Amino acid sequence: MKSIVLSSVVTALLVFSGCSDKKPAVDEKAQTQEVVQEVAIVETETVATDDSMVNANAGHLSMSQIESKLPTIYFAFDKYNITSDMQAKVDAAVELGKNEALQYSVKLEGNCDEWGSDEYNFALGLKRANAVKQAIVAEGIDASRIAMVSYGESNPVCTEKTQECWAKNRRVDFKLLP
Amino acid sequence: MKFFLTLLMAFSLSYGADATIEVIKKVEALPSMAIEDASKDYDDTFKLRFFKMLVADMNVLSLFNVDRHHRLVDFDDSSVVVENKDMAYVLRYKMFEDDNGALNINTKLLQNDEVKFVKNYKVSRKDIYMFISHAIAYDINEFMGEPSVAWMKRKVIFSRVVAPRKSEIIIADYTLTYQHSIIKGGFNIFPKWANSAQNAFYYTSLSAKVPTLKYVNIKTGKVSSVISSDGMMICSDVSDDGNTLLLTMAKSGQPDIFSYNIKTKKYHRETTYGGIDVNAQFRDRNSIVFISNRLGYPNVFSKELGSNEVEQMVYYGRSNSACSAHGEYIVYKARETSNAFSQNTFNLHLISTKTDFIRRLTATGVNEFPRFSKDGDAIIFIKNYKAQSSIGIIRLNHNKNYLFPLKFGRVQAMDW
Repeated sequence: MKSIVLSSVVTALLVFSGCSDKKPAVDEKAQTQEVVQEVAIVETETVATDDSMVNANAGHLSMSQIESKLPTIYFAFDKYNITSDMQAKVDAAVELGKNEALQYSVKLEGNCDEWGSDEYNFALGLKRANAVKQAIVAEGIDASRIAMVSYGESNPVCTEKTQECWAKNRRVDFKLLP
Repeated sequence: MKFFLTLLMAFSLSYGADATIEVIKKVEALPSMAIEDASKDYDDTFKLRFFKMLVADMNVLSLFNVDRHHRLVDFDDSSVVVENKDMAYVLRYKMFEDDNGALNINTKLLQNDEVKFVKNYKVSRKDIYMFISHAIAYDINEFMGEPSVAWMKRKVIFSRVVAPRKSEIIIADYTLTYQHSIIKGGFNIFPKWANSAQNAFYYTSLSAKVPTLKYVNIKTGKVSSVISSDGMMICSDVSDDGNTLLLTMAKSGQPDIFSYNIKTKKYHRETTYGGIDVNAQFRDRNSIVFISNRLGYPNVFSKELGSNEVEQMVYYGRSNSACSAHGEYIVYKARETSNAFSQNTFNLHLISTKTDFIRRLTATGVNEFPRFSKDGDAIIFIKNYKAQSSIGIIRLNHNKNYLFPLKFGRVQAMDW
């Protein structure tokens, strides 16, 4: 019980600390007035994921521990179908979803490589997320536990201009939601 | 004979007005123009910066063969400098600072040492000098009696990604020389002007749990939520009267095009295909073009609003994933190589719905985000070539492209 409370507190802290800069600051003085000097960035302290896990009960996995076990599904260039070599990873995700991660919802994040930075690319990312959703729903995960979002090419894990790098960015990530 | 002449004339006129046919004009055929600087205040760096901007703007007019020598004169000299004696036109200007620190610029256009046109300009501070330069070019173009270049005075709004899932939205002049960051922090993308006055805009916020379309009134700074959709939410186009939006939403994970009436707050689903339908653009009040992969690859299609019939518009290009429309003309981005393993070439092409011609508008690199000006006279786009990004202006009727190098990285989306 203690571990659940602690990890909830840590989660809440992480969630709320992540919110502070997300409210868009609109500058109404757009064209007419002097651009206001920007002050120095507020210093913050971040606790590394490993350190943040205060775990009294080694037998029980925290949300981030389960999340780290979830696979990443990769896709071919300009495609959104799940290839046969990715099926085993989907099965592994379903297995986790039915057991350790049963209490959580999941957000599927669709991503693309840098080829085509337009609406079509965002739709491609979403279709990838949706393909994973259909696959895990077909294997028995409740659709109401799944949310989807597409980040297009705006959330790369690799920024080099190589074939391997682009392949790493054509992916769907699993993110757990409490 | 008279009949044949009339026929010939009708033929040349009808084709002369078709922007998909290239018009080749020799550089020599344009009248020459020199620009003379008579500024007293301000340092040499600023003087040169303004001179460069003005040369660029005068070039974009595509009316003159502009001399690039920065020559200093006295504003009231009765004749032009000796090197400019043979120039058809001489544009002379004087920058000076008044007691309030405002930037004043007096200009006059000389032809054969005679003053043909005089106008004075003023802005409150010197770092927005580029707007005066654009205004001077606009006025010279009006004086020459050419079709309006009002788009020079319009603003560009664009988003750029500054870190994974972090972006900012910026308002700029048409050369992106002036940049003002209007939304910072969070993950906000796909900005779109909300009306032709450019005093409000829409954008997609991905900071919230569900993608949400936001509306920003620039005057008041007020931000309001318009509509949300799971998975995807983009405002692709706004009707001329500002009342109807074309949205890409993905209710239940399926990206489709919707029209949305901002008065009644009701939306209508316009496409139902099971693949990808995005990037809808008004051709006129009742018909749209959009991008769909219904043939297995992205291509440009059109339909009437409210009907189910869909027509393929483009028959060239392996992968045409973005477009912009203006009346009968459609500009689209086509991938010309199909290579998952190296750099690809993306060029812009122009088609007319009334002819079969296809005109390639760019030659090298990755060319994207084509956007027609409101009057259809010009197209703005981004070119990425050999690690350099530039903003480009295509003057359709002059068959010329102008590039302004950009100092920062990739643009995420852009509207003009």
